[in-house]
Amino acid sequence: MTYIGAELIISPLGKTTEENCTAMIANRSGISLIADAGFDHKSLFLSKINDPDGQGKFTRLIIQAIETIKNEIDDAVLLSARTIFIISSTKGDPEQIKDPFNAAVSAVQQKFSLANRPIVISNACISGIVAINTAHHLIRARLYDHAVVIGCDVLSDFVVYGFQSLFAMGDAPCRPFDAARNGISIGEGCGAVVVSASEHIFRNPSLQLLAGTTANDANHISGPSRTGEGLFRSVKKTMEKNGITADELDFISAHGTATVFNDEMESIAFDRLGMSNIPLNSLKGYFGHTLGAAGIIETAASMQMIRNGILFKSLGFQEQGTSKALNIVSGNTVANPETILKTASGFGGGNASLIIRSI
Amino acid sequence: MDDLKEELKRQLIEQLNLEEITPADIDDNTLLFSDKGLGLDSIDALELIVLLEKYHGIQVTKPEEGKEVFRSVNSMAEYIRKRQN
Amino acid sequence: MNFITAYGHLQENSCAVNGETICRRDKNSGDPWFRQIYKEQEFVYPKFHKMDVLSQAGFLTSELIKRANPQFAGKYKDDEIAMLFANRSGSAETDQKFVHAYQNGTPSPSLFVYTLPNIVMGEIAILNKWYGESLFAVLPAFDAEFYINHCNLLLSAGSEAVLCSWHEIAGNQIDVFTFLIEKEGESRFELTTNTLSKIAFEGNFHKTEINANYYY
Repeated sequence: MTYIGAELIISPLGKTTEENCTAMIANRSGISLIADAGFDHKSLFLSKINDPDGQGKFTRLIIQAIETIKNEIDDAVLLSARTIFIISSTKGDPEQIKDPFNAAVSAVQQKFSLANRPIVISNACISGIVAINTAHHLIRARLYDHAVVIGCDVLSDFVVYGFQSLFAMGDAPCRPFDAARNGISIGEGCGAVVVSASEHIFRNPSLQLLAGTTANDANHISGPSRTGEGLFRSVKKTMEKNGITADELDFISAHGTATVFNDEMESIAFDRLGMSNIPLNSLKGYFGHTLGAAGIIETAASMQMIRNGILFKSLGFQEQGTSKALNIVSGNTVANPETILKTASGFGGGNASLIIRSI
Repeated sequence: MDDLKEELKRQLIEQLNLEEITPADIDDNTLLFSDKGLGLDSIDALELIVLLEKYHGIQVTKPEEGKEVFRSVNSMAEYIRKRQN
Repeated sequence: MNFITAYGHLQENSCAVNGETICRRDKNSGDPWFRQIYKEQEFVYPKFHKMDVLSQAGFLTSELIKRANPQFAGKYKDDEIAMLFANRSGSAETDQKFVHAYQNGTPSPSLFVYTLPNIVMGEIAILNKWYGESLFAVLPAFDAEFYINHCNLLLSAGSEAVLCSWHEIAGNQIDVFTFLIEKEGESRFELTTNTLSKIAFEGNFHKTEINANYYY
């Protein structure tokens, strides 16, 4: 069995998992109107961490994450030669435009005297799920015993102007799967989980991580497949690999970016998978779309749902806005989810999925 | 010959990196987004919005507006003339 | 055991398939280097001209490998070929062009969509209709062991072949090494750290200067 635990979320909603969880229970959003954020000085809805220190945010967030989770696991794990660090990010440090990842990785390795150089995984918006899946594969193959998986992306003019140029930014806080949705709210944040072959390294009880997969749409580099082909294939593969059927899933933590086409694509894929009735949410209404951090933040939040026996409301959703109906959680619900499917889809036609389960 | 339309064809080729196409290959009525025409895609459509602003000082704020405008060189020229008057 | 069944090198001035140079850069040509190869090799894929340099390099090397290995693609189902790419600087090359565009005018949507390193794998997936696994990693330098470990993981988890690439382009420095891993092949190309490192640097006879500042 492979274990997952020590989940952490750093976002505008808080610096700890507890603070973030409290905010989600209260259905509070980290998204706010930021003046002068856009190209041509437009004000935009973003999920921005209030940060008086300015420079070096990317590296600082990763270091802050490691400082926090090291209290959640055995002391020896961090420095062990059997531990690999995996960093999931789409853009790395926006202040290092010519070499966005290496300085940050070196700084993190040196700061904590890590035995192995961290690997960076950069697969657009599915990076976080791919990073957790990679951790799982590496541990199952016994190449390592433990993996600390950290997802981080920070806001920059680059990313904001880019999504503006695609007309992909919503003109209100994002409303995943809702009829009135009209685009994403970009966010920044850092998420972390620890994956291990041993359940004894965790200070708090861990959950089970089941093998995940990816699949490409083979359709378009920036537009979702109209048939949801890649997402359909990835989820199907993940379910088959683990011998799990749709009726064993208690919940789906979907990608749900709140663009018209992405959410429509997901509804088609889940319909094809016979999963339309499974309770589902998108957490983008709380955190915005945190790109390379999203898959990890949302996996961490899903773990909190299992631990706290609650399904978080899909913030921003009011009225069905996809051609295929989904069972979207329209208010916090007391429940005992045991098995949760987490999915993501992104640029480059990538789709990824994984399953977490209570023990 | 309509200068604006010839200019548009050159701008289309440059802005969209249509390396293997010359202005002579584009008819005033060629459907830009049809596979039987130039076969442009959704990203090209957004790039045409950039083109309108860059060369003609015209701002399009909703990509949906582009649908009719970007049908052909003819429709683009018509739109530019309308907006400039 | 797994095998390297075909490979290609693309560098500043030459392009080679299975160790044999097939194209040399003509400094007097009016075309950029990658377009020279595209024309010389008589490719027909107009979308090539819209791609950024990372995707162009991926298109060229993967298509040349397929030509050298014509029976390859037909052997597998559409989701059995995985892709495993890595480089040092992500999409920094295209990122800088996008910054230049918005600092000097308007953010360009067609540039922005290429400002992610995994897009090259998306382009190859679209061209070949491959629905398989894909992974893009950022590493400080080419690392044979990384590819071997992750190929083994992919090949033991349902993939039957892996298209790999070290895919680094930074300014004028081009260091692209694309290679195909399959479960059957010639014994002299068994996938080992030694063999893979040897083949990877085969093309580097003219690159001592670059290598000198590459590993720091």
